[in-house]
Amino acid sequence: MGKMLIQTRSGTMMNMDNNVVTKLARAALDRGHEVMVFGYGEGVTAIKDGQDPRRFPNVGKILQDYTQEGMLVTVCETCCYARGIKRGEEFPGSKIGSMTNDLSVFVSDADRMVTIAR
Amino acid sequence: MAESIVIIINRGPYGTEEAFAGMREALALMVSGLVDRAVTLLVGEGTLNAVMSQKPEAISMPSNLAALSDLLDMDGEVFMVLEDLERIAPGTEVLEGVQPVNWSQAREIISSCQLVTTF
Repeated sequence: MGKMLIQTRSGTMMNMDNNVVTKLARAALDRGHEVMVFGYGEGVTAIKDGQDPRRFPNVGKILQDYTQEGMLVTVCETCCYARGIKRGEEFPGSKIGSMTNDLSVFVSDADRMVTIAR
Repeated sequence: MAESIVIIINRGPYGTEEAFAGMREALALMVSGLVDRAVTLLVGEGTLNAVMSQKPEAISMPSNLAALSDLLDMDGEVFMVLEDLERIAPGTEVLEGVQPVNWSQAREIISSCQLVTTF
């Protein structure tokens, strides 16, 4: 089976980009592929714990659920700090990491890469 | 297992952070030592990131030119579709070390890499 890397640079609200991320991830997981998600720029908001979007899909909760199935979710540390997101505020199972140490591993592991951004 | 990636930058400098972020991603992948080849390809308005006369201090922003220089300092491969720059800003001086290519060559560069991401 393959390994897909999804890089998201969109925030969790005001557009459907990260809903696309969850749909893509779901489809890949259902087919037995490994999925790695890396949040960069606004994409780091995906790992914020405690999101409550009310009538919209809860991207954070969905991603957290998928980590239970082995999906890896990591975001850029520098981008987090720039936005005031601190370690410990990420949902369990996700990681505030770095491009050098984490995205590079994802890239070297991946067979396919999808970029979601505006 | 991917050994190569091309980072295509089609956003101009400033106004959005996309181009700067793309160059920083390329740098991170290069210095990691885990990805054999991380190529940066400037296309469309992204070619403006190589323009020598940009003055980011006027808007108190970090320099995209410096970010591009960082890639070259690491012996990174940085290409620019010259016909795109010539269409937008003909005769403009660009950063030394950025390799001008035409679209036919750009397509070959893209095809030679296993992964593609865009900024």
